[in-house]
Amino acid sequence: MRKLLGVFGAICGATAVLAGPPEFQLEIRDHLFFPAELVVPANTKVRLLVINADPTAEEFESYELNREKIIPGGRKAVVFIGPLAPGEYPFFGEFFPKTAQGKVIAR
Amino acid sequence: MKFRACAIFCVAMAGGVPAWADGFALDRVYHPYVEPMEREIEWRMRGYPADADVGERLQMHQIAYGQAIGERWFAELYAVGQSEAGAALEPEGWEAELRHQLTEQGEFWADWGLLFELEREHGDVWEASSGVLLEKEHGQWSTAVNVSLGVEWGRGIDRELETRLAVQTRYRRSPLFEPAIELHAAEDTLAVGPAVLGELRLGNRRSLHWEAGVYAGLDDRTPGRSFRAGLEFGF
Repeated sequence: MRKLLGVFGAICGATAVLAGPPEFQLEIRDHLFFPAELVVPANTKVRLLVINADPTAEEFESYELNREKIIPGGRKAVVFIGPLAPGEYPFFGEFFPKTAQGKVIAR
Repeated sequence: MKFRACAIFCVAMAGGVPAWADGFALDRVYHPYVEPMEREIEWRMRGYPADADVGERLQMHQIAYGQAIGERWFAELYAVGQSEAGAALEPEGWEAELRHQLTEQGEFWADWGLLFELEREHGDVWEASSGVLLEKEHGQWSTAVNVSLGVEWGRGIDRELETRLAVQTRYRRSPLFEPAIELHAAEDTLAVGPAVLGELRLGNRRSLHWEAGVYAGLDDRTPGRSFRAGLEFGF
């Protein structure tokens, strides 16, 4: 029984590793980010799927997160962020910086 | 080594190329990232003063245009000029460069890329090289490592392999100002020194990136003091 539990534990562990970091979605629509405030777990690497629903390109940019990623119109892109210390990390869209703004909140 | 030095000297005498310029491997440290739709005009210079213990002063200038090809490749074409001992700047050759982003930033333990270069110098001397680009982020710090292997051939010189290593650790203090320390190593170069980097946003997807560094030679083949600087206008 103990052996069986050990095998089960190993499979669960392997599945967790294979599953990769937790995924969060961010959508760009009408040159705005949705959600504008994205809460992610602190001290954990996360996979951010950025979906650009606009016909024009946009760039997810954040000096605080050390990330820059252009997403052509109607396309998706993956941005890996973290592990982040608890706090707030602003980001913006460089093509439409006046409207496309948001922040990642790590807690 | 002695034969190579003689060969380079012969080319230098025949073609007006300073013998030392060939081995002066101080250059920009590359990062393994490509931005789709990115275009840039770049100017770089590097050199050493007259009292750097390796002969006359030298300045090498490069002007380039580059642009992204698709989502993972970036191509850049350079015109190279050189000025020795205070003489006027003269055309020296050209370089073509291809950079490839292998992994998504932050996905793995480190970020990886590749760099391919082809150079033609005055005097029908060619050099082709390929290298690995690595970047590791650690909090506010980021370390970039470039390792490359090249082969040089042409009139008057022996075909031979050359290796280069460049390491840059920078502190991400603010977009405008990032202090760094760099190490450059190659067959005739071993230098270390501080550098500063920064980027000024000009709006409407335009930016001006700048870099500058001063270095101390760590052996008698390297200029005692050398420098490099660069400007990139991205649009």
